[in-house]
Amino acid sequence: MIRGITVVGWLAAGVLGAGAVAQAQQESQGPKPLALGDAAPLADVAMMNVDGHETTIAGAHGAKGTLVVFTCNACPWAKAWHTRIVSLGNRCVKQGIGVIAINSNDPGVVPEDGYKVMQTNARRSKMAFPYVVDATSDVARAFGATRTPEAFLFDREGKLVYHGTIDDNAKQPDQVKERYLQDAVQAVVDGREIALAETKALGCGIKFRSKT
Amino acid sequence: MRPALGATIALALAASCLCGCAAAGRGPALRAATADQVLAAVREPGARAVLVNVWATWCVPCREEFPDLLEVAREYRARGLRLVLVSADFDDTLPQAREFLAANGVDFPSFHKTGDDMKFINTLEPSWSGAIPATIVFDGAGRKLRFLEGRQTYETLSQAVREALHEGGATDSVEAGT
Repeated sequence: MIRGITVVGWLAAGVLGAGAVAQAQQESQGPKPLALGDAAPLADVAMMNVDGHETTIAGAHGAKGTLVVFTCNACPWAKAWHTRIVSLGNRCVKQGIGVIAINSNDPGVVPEDGYKVMQTNARRSKMAFPYVVDATSDVARAFGATRTPEAFLFDREGKLVYHGTIDDNAKQPDQVKERYLQDAVQAVVDGREIALAETKALGCGIKFRSKT
Repeated sequence: MRPALGATIALALAASCLCGCAAAGRGPALRAATADQVLAAVREPGARAVLVNVWATWCVPCREEFPDLLEVAREYRARGLRLVLVSADFDDTLPQAREFLAANGVDFPSFHKTGDDMKFINTLEPSWSGAIPATIVFDGAGRKLRFLEGRQTYETLSQAVREALHEGGATDSVEAGT
Protein backbone atom coordinates (compact mmCIF):
# COMPACT_ATOMS: atom_id res chain seq x y z
CA MET A 1 0.00 0.00 0.00
CA ILE A 2 1.26 3.45 -0.81
CA ARG A 3 0.02 6.42 1.10
CA GLY A 4 0.87 10.05 0.50
CA ILE A 5 2.46 11.88 3.39
CA THR A 6 2.79 15.61 3.50
CA VAL A 7 6.14 17.01 4.39
CA VAL A 8 5.90 20.63 5.34
CA GLY A 9 8.74 22.59 3.86
CA TRP A 10 11.55 20.57 5.34
CA LEU A 11 14.20 22.45 3.49
CA ALA A 12 12.72 25.67 4.78
CA ALA A 13 13.06 24.38 8.31
CA GLY A 14 16.71 25.26 8.15
CA VAL A 15 17.97 21.86 9.18
CA LEU A 16 20.81 22.21 6.73
CA GLY A 17 21.78 25.63 7.94
CA ALA A 18 25.12 26.22 9.59
CA GLY A 19 24.86 25.86 13.33
CA ALA A 20 21.31 24.60 13.21
CA VAL A 21 20.43 21.64 15.35
CA ALA A 22 19.38 18.99 12.92
CA GLN A 23 15.82 17.92 13.50
CA ALA A 24 15.06 14.82 11.54
CA GLN A 25 11.93 14.86 9.45
CA GLN A 26 9.82 11.82 9.98
CA GLU A 27 7.54 10.25 7.47
CA SER A 28 5.39 7.77 9.33
CA GLN A 29 2.73 5.56 7.83
CA GLY A 30 -0.53 6.64 9.27
CA PRO A 31 -2.21 7.89 12.38
CA LYS A 32 -0.14 8.22 15.50
CA PRO A 33 -0.45 5.34 17.93
CA LEU A 34 -2.97 5.65 20.71
CA ALA A 35 -1.82 7.78 23.60
CA LEU A 36 -1.88 6.59 27.17
CA GLY A 37 -5.35 7.24 28.53
CA ASP A 38 -7.07 6.70 25.17
CA ALA A 39 -9.88 4.20 24.74
CA ALA A 40 -9.73 1.31 22.27
CA PRO A 41 -11.03 2.49 18.89
CA LEU A 42 -13.32 0.42 16.66
CA ALA A 43 -14.11 -1.76 19.66
CA ASP A 44 -17.45 -2.82 18.16
CA VAL A 45 -16.10 -3.91 14.77
CA ALA A 46 -16.86 -7.58 14.22
CA MET A 47 -13.85 -9.70 13.31
CA MET A 48 -13.75 -13.38 12.43
CA ASN A 49 -12.25 -15.50 15.17
CA VAL A 50 -10.41 -18.75 14.59
CA ASP A 51 -13.42 -20.58 16.05
CA GLY A 52 -15.52 -19.53 13.06
CA HIS A 53 -17.56 -16.95 14.97
CA GLU A 54 -17.26 -13.19 14.84
CA THR A 55 -16.23 -11.24 17.90
CA THR A 56 -15.16 -7.73 18.85
CA ILE A 57 -12.65 -6.01 21.07
CA ALA A 58 -15.52 -4.97 23.31
CA GLY A 59 -16.62 -8.58 23.43
CA ALA A 60 -13.20 -9.61 24.73
CA HIS A 61 -13.36 -7.08 27.54
CA GLY A 62 -12.40 -8.35 30.98
CA ALA A 63 -13.49 -7.17 34.41
CA LYS A 64 -10.01 -5.90 35.24
CA GLY A 65 -8.91 -4.79 31.77
CA THR A 66 -8.32 -5.78 28.18
CA LEU A 67 -5.16 -6.79 26.33
CA VAL A 68 -5.08 -6.27 22.56
CA VAL A 69 -2.11 -7.79 20.73
CA PHE A 70 -1.49 -7.23 17.03
CA THR A 71 0.35 -10.29 15.83
CA CYS A 72 0.54 -12.68 12.90
CA ASN A 73 1.76 -16.09 11.81
CA ALA A 74 4.75 -15.38 9.61
CA CYS A 75 6.83 -12.68 11.27
CA PRO A 76 9.94 -14.11 12.96
CA TRP A 77 9.44 -11.81 15.93
CA ALA A 78 5.81 -12.87 16.30
CA LYS A 79 6.93 -16.49 16.05
CA ALA A 80 9.69 -15.98 18.59
CA TRP A 81 7.28 -14.42 21.08
CA HIS A 82 4.24 -16.56 20.27
CA THR A 83 4.59 -19.04 23.14
CA ARG A 84 5.12 -16.23 25.64
CA ILE A 85 2.15 -14.26 24.26
CA VAL A 86 -0.13 -17.28 24.54
CA SER A 87 1.13 -18.17 28.01
CA LEU A 88 0.67 -14.63 29.28
CA GLY A 89 -2.66 -14.23 27.49
CA ASN A 90 -4.05 -17.43 28.96
CA ARG A 91 -2.95 -16.33 32.41
CA CYS A 92 -4.55 -12.91 31.83
CA VAL A 93 -7.89 -14.53 31.09
CA LYS A 94 -7.73 -16.37 34.42
CA GLN A 95 -6.89 -13.10 36.18
CA GLY A 96 -9.81 -11.16 34.74
CA ILE A 97 -7.99 -9.42 31.90
CA GLY A 98 -9.75 -10.00 28.59
CA VAL A 99 -7.44 -10.78 25.68
CA ILE A 100 -7.78 -10.56 21.92
CA ALA A 101 -5.05 -11.22 19.36
CA ILE A 102 -5.55 -9.50 16.02
CA ASN A 103 -3.97 -10.35 12.69
CA SER A 104 -4.15 -7.28 10.44
CA ASN A 105 -1.74 -8.55 7.79
CA ASP A 106 -2.79 -8.98 4.19
CA PRO A 107 -2.27 -12.68 3.41
CA GLY A 108 -1.95 -11.66 -0.20
CA VAL A 109 1.50 -10.38 0.75
CA VAL A 110 2.50 -13.36 2.89
CA PRO A 111 0.20 -16.39 2.46
CA GLU A 112 1.34 -17.81 5.82
CA ASP A 113 -0.64 -15.01 7.45
CA GLY A 114 -3.90 -16.54 6.24
CA TYR A 115 -6.87 -17.68 8.32
CA LYS A 116 -6.20 -21.43 8.21
CA VAL A 117 -2.69 -21.00 9.58
CA MET A 118 -4.15 -18.78 12.30
CA GLN A 119 -6.52 -21.60 13.22
CA THR A 120 -3.68 -24.11 13.29
CA ASN A 121 -1.46 -21.86 15.42
CA ALA A 122 -4.25 -21.12 17.88
CA ARG A 123 -5.14 -24.79 18.24
CA ARG A 124 -1.56 -26.03 18.57
CA SER A 125 -0.57 -23.38 21.09
CA LYS A 126 -3.80 -23.80 23.08
CA MET A 127 -4.86 -20.17 22.90
CA ALA A 128 -7.64 -19.54 25.42
CA PHE A 129 -8.57 -16.21 23.85
CA PRO A 130 -9.77 -15.02 20.42
CA TYR A 131 -7.37 -14.71 17.49
CA VAL A 132 -9.20 -12.68 14.88
CA VAL A 133 -8.83 -11.34 11.36
CA ASP A 134 -8.77 -7.58 10.87
CA ALA A 135 -10.15 -7.96 7.36
CA THR A 136 -9.57 -4.37 6.28
CA SER A 137 -6.53 -3.62 8.51
CA ASP A 138 -8.57 -0.65 9.70
CA VAL A 139 -8.40 -1.71 13.32
CA ALA A 140 -4.60 -1.61 13.18
CA ARG A 141 -4.78 1.77 11.47
CA ALA A 142 -7.12 3.09 14.15
CA PHE A 143 -4.77 1.93 16.90
CA GLY A 144 -1.79 3.34 15.02
CA ALA A 145 -0.21 -0.10 15.25
CA THR A 146 2.76 -0.55 12.91
CA ARG A 147 4.39 -3.86 13.67
CA THR A 148 3.94 -7.38 14.96
CA PRO A 149 3.77 -8.15 17.76
CA GLU A 150 2.56 -4.91 19.33
CA ALA A 151 0.56 -4.87 22.58
CA PHE A 152 -2.02 -2.40 23.90
CA LEU A 153 -3.22 -2.92 27.49
CA PHE A 154 -6.34 -1.15 28.77
CA ASP A 155 -7.32 -0.91 32.42
CA ARG A 156 -10.72 -1.71 33.91
CA GLU A 157 -11.97 1.75 32.90
CA GLY A 158 -10.94 1.13 29.30
CA LYS A 159 -8.00 3.53 29.30
CA LEU A 160 -4.74 2.62 27.60
CA VAL A 161 -2.15 2.05 30.29
CA TYR A 162 0.57 0.16 28.41
CA HIS A 163 1.71 0.16 24.78
CA GLY A 164 4.67 -1.66 23.41
CA THR A 165 6.50 -4.90 23.24
CA ILE A 166 6.47 -8.17 25.13
CA ASP A 167 9.88 -8.29 26.78
CA ASP A 168 13.49 -7.39 26.07
CA ASN A 169 14.62 -10.53 24.25
CA ALA A 170 12.47 -12.07 21.54
CA LYS A 171 14.86 -14.79 20.49
CA GLN A 172 16.24 -16.01 23.80
CA PRO A 173 13.49 -16.48 26.40
CA ASP A 174 16.03 -17.62 28.97
CA GLN A 175 17.94 -14.35 28.57
CA VAL A 176 14.96 -12.06 29.24
CA LYS A 177 15.71 -9.43 31.86
CA GLU A 178 12.69 -7.14 31.48
CA ARG A 179 9.18 -8.60 31.19
CA TYR A 180 7.49 -5.36 30.18
CA LEU A 181 4.03 -6.67 29.29
CA GLN A 182 3.83 -9.22 32.09
CA ASP A 183 4.78 -6.53 34.63
CA ALA A 184 2.18 -4.17 33.18
CA VAL A 185 -0.52 -6.84 33.34
CA GLN A 186 0.34 -7.64 36.94
CA ALA A 187 0.21 -3.95 37.84
CA VAL A 188 -3.27 -3.67 36.31
CA VAL A 189 -4.43 -6.76 38.16
CA ASP A 190 -3.01 -5.38 41.41
CA GLY A 191 -4.35 -1.89 40.77
CA ARG A 192 -0.84 -0.43 40.80
CA GLU A 193 0.76 2.13 38.52
CA ILE A 194 2.75 0.67 35.64
CA ALA A 195 6.45 1.38 35.97
CA LEU A 196 7.25 1.47 32.25
CA ALA A 197 4.14 2.22 30.21
CA GLU A 198 5.66 2.56 26.74
CA THR A 199 8.31 0.29 25.25
CA LYS A 200 9.64 -0.59 21.81
CA ALA A 201 11.16 -3.48 19.96
CA LEU A 202 12.10 -4.18 16.39
CA GLY A 203 9.34 -5.98 14.57
CA CYS A 204 7.82 -6.74 11.22
CA GLY A 205 5.83 -3.94 9.69
CA ILE A 206 2.12 -4.74 9.43
CA LYS A 207 1.22 -5.65 5.85
CA PHE A 208 -1.78 -3.35 5.58
CA ARG A 209 -4.50 -4.17 3.11
CA SER A 210 -5.05 -1.52 0.47
CA LYS A 211 -7.84 0.93 1.12
CA THR A 212 -10.66 0.47 -1.36
CA MET B 1 44.47 -37.19 14.15
CA ARG B 2 43.60 -35.22 17.24
CA PRO B 3 46.28 -32.48 16.83
CA ALA B 4 45.32 -32.07 13.19
CA LEU B 5 41.65 -31.86 14.08
CA GLY B 6 42.41 -29.35 16.81
CA ALA B 7 44.42 -27.21 14.45
CA THR B 8 41.65 -27.31 11.89
CA ILE B 9 39.07 -26.22 14.45
CA ALA B 10 41.36 -23.45 15.71
CA LEU B 11 41.88 -22.19 12.16
CA ALA B 12 38.17 -22.30 11.50
CA LEU B 13 37.38 -20.41 14.68
CA ALA B 14 40.06 -17.83 13.94
CA ALA B 15 38.74 -17.36 10.44
CA SER B 16 35.19 -16.99 11.67
CA CYS B 17 36.22 -14.35 14.19
CA LEU B 18 38.27 -12.16 11.89
CA CYS B 19 37.12 -8.56 11.88
CA GLY B 20 35.30 -8.72 15.18
CA CYS B 21 33.51 -12.00 14.68
CA ALA B 22 31.75 -11.22 11.45
CA ALA B 23 28.76 -13.44 10.74
CA ALA B 24 29.48 -16.77 9.07
CA GLY B 25 28.41 -17.46 5.53
CA ARG B 26 29.28 -16.34 2.03
CA GLY B 27 29.04 -12.72 1.07
CA PRO B 28 30.28 -9.37 2.33
CA ALA B 29 31.33 -8.97 5.94
CA LEU B 30 28.47 -8.48 8.37
CA ARG B 31 29.64 -7.14 11.71
CA ALA B 32 27.70 -6.91 14.95
CA ALA B 33 26.99 -3.31 15.87
CA THR B 34 25.12 -1.31 18.46
CA ALA B 35 23.39 1.92 17.50
CA ASP B 36 26.41 3.87 18.72
CA GLN B 37 28.66 1.87 16.44
CA VAL B 38 26.32 2.50 13.52
CA LEU B 39 26.42 6.21 14.27
CA ALA B 40 30.21 6.06 14.42
CA ALA B 41 30.18 4.62 10.91
CA VAL B 42 27.90 7.45 9.84
CA ARG B 43 30.37 10.01 11.17
CA GLU B 44 33.43 8.52 9.48
CA PRO B 45 34.88 11.19 7.22
CA GLY B 46 34.59 11.15 3.48
CA ALA B 47 30.85 11.23 2.82
CA ARG B 48 28.66 14.21 1.94
CA ALA B 49 25.50 12.29 2.84
CA VAL B 50 24.78 8.97 4.52
CA LEU B 51 21.80 6.63 4.29
CA VAL B 52 21.33 4.14 7.12
CA ASN B 53 18.92 1.37 6.21
CA VAL B 54 17.71 -1.25 8.70
CA TRP B 55 16.46 -4.37 6.95
CA ALA B 56 16.15 -8.14 7.31
CA THR B 57 16.07 -11.07 4.91
CA TRP B 58 12.61 -12.24 5.99
CA CYS B 59 11.12 -8.74 5.72
CA VAL B 60 9.16 -8.63 2.46
CA PRO B 61 9.06 -4.83 2.07
CA CYS B 62 12.78 -4.70 2.92
CA ARG B 63 13.56 -7.12 0.11
CA GLU B 64 11.28 -5.23 -2.26
CA GLU B 65 12.96 -1.94 -1.36
CA PHE B 66 16.51 -3.25 -1.68
CA PRO B 67 17.00 -2.86 -5.46
CA ASP B 68 15.85 0.77 -5.32
CA LEU B 69 18.08 1.42 -2.33
CA LEU B 70 21.14 0.00 -4.08
CA GLU B 71 20.35 1.81 -7.32
CA VAL B 72 20.27 5.11 -5.45
CA ALA B 73 23.48 4.19 -3.61
CA ARG B 74 25.28 3.45 -6.88
CA GLU B 75 23.93 6.51 -8.64
CA TYR B 76 25.01 8.93 -5.92
CA ARG B 77 28.14 7.21 -4.64
CA ALA B 78 30.45 9.33 -6.79
CA ARG B 79 28.73 12.46 -5.47
CA GLY B 80 29.50 11.52 -1.89
CA LEU B 81 26.72 9.20 -0.71
CA ARG B 82 27.58 6.42 1.73
CA LEU B 83 25.14 3.58 2.36
CA VAL B 84 25.25 1.91 5.77
CA LEU B 85 23.24 -1.30 5.86
CA VAL B 86 22.14 -2.78 9.19
CA SER B 87 20.57 -6.22 9.17
CA ALA B 88 18.03 -6.94 11.90
CA ASP B 89 18.18 -10.67 11.23
CA PHE B 90 18.44 -12.99 14.19
CA ASP B 91 21.78 -14.77 14.53
CA ASP B 92 20.47 -17.94 12.92
CA THR B 93 19.65 -16.16 9.65
CA LEU B 94 22.84 -14.14 9.32
CA PRO B 95 24.30 -16.55 6.74
CA GLN B 96 21.20 -15.93 4.60
CA ALA B 97 21.67 -12.22 5.13
CA ARG B 98 25.21 -12.39 3.77
CA GLU B 99 24.04 -14.46 0.82
CA PHE B 100 21.26 -11.96 0.12
CA LEU B 101 23.74 -9.10 0.17
CA ALA B 102 26.06 -10.95 -2.19
CA ALA B 103 23.20 -11.83 -4.52
CA ASN B 104 22.29 -8.15 -4.69
CA GLY B 105 25.84 -7.11 -5.49
CA VAL B 106 26.71 -5.55 -2.14
CA ASP B 107 30.50 -5.56 -2.04
CA PHE B 108 31.14 -3.47 1.07
CA PRO B 109 31.03 -4.39 4.77
CA SER B 110 27.81 -3.86 6.63
CA PHE B 111 26.34 -4.47 10.05
CA HIS B 112 23.89 -6.58 11.92
CA LYS B 113 22.12 -5.13 14.91
CA THR B 114 23.14 -6.35 18.33
CA GLY B 115 22.13 -5.46 21.86
CA ASP B 116 18.93 -4.17 23.37
CA ASP B 117 16.20 -3.32 20.85
CA MET B 118 14.74 -0.34 22.65
CA LYS B 119 18.13 1.33 23.12
CA PHE B 120 18.99 0.63 19.49
CA ILE B 121 15.72 2.15 18.25
CA ASN B 122 15.73 5.21 20.47
CA THR B 123 19.40 5.96 19.86
CA LEU B 124 18.98 5.91 16.11
CA GLU B 125 15.62 7.69 16.00
CA PRO B 126 13.26 8.28 18.96
CA SER B 127 10.19 8.53 16.71
CA TRP B 128 10.87 5.13 15.14
CA SER B 129 8.19 2.58 16.11
CA GLY B 130 10.58 -0.32 15.53
CA ALA B 131 8.99 -1.53 12.30
CA ILE B 132 11.32 -2.22 9.40
CA PRO B 133 12.46 -1.25 6.84
CA ALA B 134 13.61 2.03 8.30
CA THR B 135 15.90 4.55 6.64
CA ILE B 136 17.67 7.49 8.23
CA VAL B 137 19.30 10.25 6.18
CA PHE B 138 22.31 12.14 7.52
CA ASP B 139 24.39 14.94 6.11
CA GLY B 140 28.16 14.69 5.80
CA ALA B 141 28.63 16.01 9.32
CA GLY B 142 26.53 13.23 10.75
CA ARG B 143 23.49 15.41 11.42
CA LYS B 144 20.21 13.58 11.12
CA LEU B 145 18.03 15.11 8.43
CA ARG B 146 15.23 12.69 7.77
CA PHE B 147 13.62 9.50 8.98
CA LEU B 148 11.66 7.25 6.66
CA GLU B 149 9.72 4.35 8.17
CA GLY B 150 8.38 1.68 5.84
CA ARG B 151 9.18 0.72 2.30
CA GLN B 152 10.53 3.52 0.16
CA THR B 153 10.77 3.88 -3.59
CA TYR B 154 13.60 4.98 -5.86
CA GLU B 155 11.91 8.38 -6.07
CA THR B 156 11.58 8.99 -2.33
CA LEU B 157 15.08 7.74 -1.61
CA SER B 158 16.75 9.71 -4.40
CA GLN B 159 14.86 12.84 -3.43
CA ALA B 160 16.03 12.52 0.17
CA VAL B 161 19.60 11.99 -1.01
CA ARG B 162 19.51 14.97 -3.37
CA GLU B 163 18.29 17.15 -0.54
CA ALA B 164 21.03 15.87 1.75
CA LEU B 165 23.59 16.57 -0.95
CA HIS B 166 22.19 20.09 -1.38
CA GLU B 167 21.23 19.25 -4.94
CA GLY B 168 17.64 20.46 -4.62
CA GLY B 169 14.71 18.49 -5.87
CA ALA B 170 12.60 19.12 -2.80
CA THR B 171 8.88 18.98 -3.22
CA ASP B 172 6.01 19.42 -0.85
CA SER B 173 5.28 15.76 -0.46
CA VAL B 174 6.81 12.36 -0.67
CA GLU B 175 5.37 8.91 -0.70
CA ALA B 176 5.91 6.50 2.11
CA GLY B 177 4.80 2.92 1.85
CA THR B 178 4.16 0.01 4.10
